[in-house]
Amino acid sequence: MANGANQSPGLSLSRDTFAKLTPGPFLHAHLKQAQPTRPNGRLPHEFRTPTVNTGSLTHSNGSAVVRAGDTAVVCGVRAELLRASDIPHPPSEDIHPDDLVEELGLLVPNVELSTGCSPSHLPGNPPGTLAQSLSYRVWSTLLNSRILDVSTLAIRHTELQPEDEEVPDAEPRVVVKGYWVLYIDILCICLDGNASDTVWLAVMAAFRDTVLPRAWWDADQERILCSSRLAEAKSLKLNCLPVASTFAVFSTASPLKDRAEAESWVLADPDGAEEGVCEEAMTVVIAATGDGATATLLSLEKSGGSVIGEAGVAEPIEYSAP
Amino acid sequence: MQADRRRINAPAGGTAPPVFTFTSNEQPPKRPRRTRGPDEHRKIFLRTGVVPSASGSAYYEIPPQPSSAQDEKLTPKSSSLKITCTVHGPRPLPRNAAFSPNLLLSTHVKFAPFATRRRRGYVRDASERDLGVHLETALRGVIIGDRWPKSGCEVVITILEGEEDGWWADGSGAEKGAGWGLMSVLAGCITVASAALVDAGIDCVDVVSGGISALVIDDDAKTEHVALDVSPPEHEIKAMCVVAYLQSRDEITECWLKGDASTNTEALMDAAVKAAAMSRTVLAEAIGEAATGQSESESTRASAKGKGKDVTMAG
Repeated sequence: MANGANQSPGLSLSRDTFAKLTPGPFLHAHLKQAQPTRPNGRLPHEFRTPTVNTGSLTHSNGSAVVRAGDTAVVCGVRAELLRASDIPHPPSEDIHPDDLVEELGLLVPNVELSTGCSPSHLPGNPPGTLAQSLSYRVWSTLLNSRILDVSTLAIRHTELQPEDEEVPDAEPRVVVKGYWVLYIDILCICLDGNASDTVWLAVMAAFRDTVLPRAWWDADQERILCSSRLAEAKSLKLNCLPVASTFAVFSTASPLKDRAEAESWVLADPDGAEEGVCEEAMTVVIAATGDGATATLLSLEKSGGSVIGEAGVAEPIEYSAP
Repeated sequence: MQADRRRINAPAGGTAPPVFTFTSNEQPPKRPRRTRGPDEHRKIFLRTGVVPSASGSAYYEIPPQPSSAQDEKLTPKSSSLKITCTVHGPRPLPRNAAFSPNLLLSTHVKFAPFATRRRRGYVRDASERDLGVHLETALRGVIIGDRWPKSGCEVVITILEGEEDGWWADGSGAEKGAGWGLMSVLAGCITVASAALVDAGIDCVDVVSGGISALVIDDDAKTEHVALDVSPPEHEIKAMCVVAYLQSRDEITECWLKGDASTNTEALMDAAVKAAAMSRTVLAEAIGEAATGQSESESTRASAKGKGKDVTMAG
């Protein structure tokens, strides 16, 4: 072999070959050093520093491009109008306002992975399981965190009561004429592990960038009109600012070994190669409220193993807390 | 329409884009004007290797034109073109595929939902498929396919922001769907796909570049002239032409002419070829930059490897 000459003899392999052939032992070899360092140069609890760019898309009300390591996500928020008269089954009057956003479907997030971002998600097929679950997670976190009040999305109109002899000074009645529907389109441009955190960060950054035009009901034309002046537009009022952080657990446990012998490491913000060899993963969503002084745990998802026990749950939460 | 069960759908009542009004003391938006000469190209930003997980990738952007009174309006005056392209392959065809002596090229063009003034769906529509076919013709003549028998290669293009079909405020071009914007997008797609193919290391006879020209009606509405690299909102367009051009071989692999150009057809094509030659200079520069940058980073990586602990498998 011509290129075998400059390689060292024996079973010594180049770094890339080793990583590709046996990703598990490769990661283990890095972690078992005295100072555990991951193959990508990060410490076990080190996150990738994301870069955020907002407002780069022309046709959206708010947009963000987030890049963390080799994962890049573009999110565009576009607001369209839903007329109250177009709602086929209007929810009952006594519904709690917090449930109205879900009931009317005012937030429509969709994650698209088939943009050629990685060879495993090629376009031409319907969205795969990962894309569907990401969309659903974004949707459920948006609703569970009650990040938007329905009042910020409603377009109200003060209706003057027709002159009536019996009730001379009738109170003007406030009716909701329509709602803003936010289409949150999230495109993954480049995928290298941990899509969920980056997607969520992009949604949050785009939300903070979103402005809704001033809209009012025009009784003469019987439709909702908007003002095109930027000065009158309002940015979204967000009740909280949730942050998602994902941890993967690399463990040497196997059915053939004694459980006590197994070693394990918790890796923050796993990249694509690490995701492939780690079975256990955990996602924590923490919401900072108001001034950011206090934070509440919004959701916690853990799957795939038994390394992080009840006690171990606290550790990643501390790391992800701002 | 049946709801897509794999996606989160819009409310059943359907939504409408907002309607903007202008109060009487407000100036309605003015149509942007072309400030560059008729044979001047807009600036192009092109970079390769933006998606490390793909074999080859490139990003193409025509930055927004500087305009005078852009501020304080929510309605954007014009958009800029932003396209990403990834190439996956060449890789072996699946076992059950029929034998192919050549590299099977497949192209996939998709607009992002937020790419245009009107929101687009997630499922590819006919115009996007048509763009894919045009792109495939443009690229097929360039790739030396018989070097990879039994393999396939995917070119995936995502348009993050498209060109508009006309000036939106008069409601003519944009509403009629004349499709002028699509042609300008195709020219960008050809250039960016060519850069990504080179980045993926797929052998080509030459780099192909896209160029666009149009027969536009002058302001006095009587005379017309040929201009290259037109932005549809800036002009009344009568006919438009896109070519995919191989400069060093002086060949055209794809030509798409639309509209009534009558006697000006040849002039239109010549102008498009000229525009393609201009975008080729950008393409060559981006590829060259990537090549020198790569060798530099490779050398730094090699030195870092020497210093760092190289994990070896002990037999």
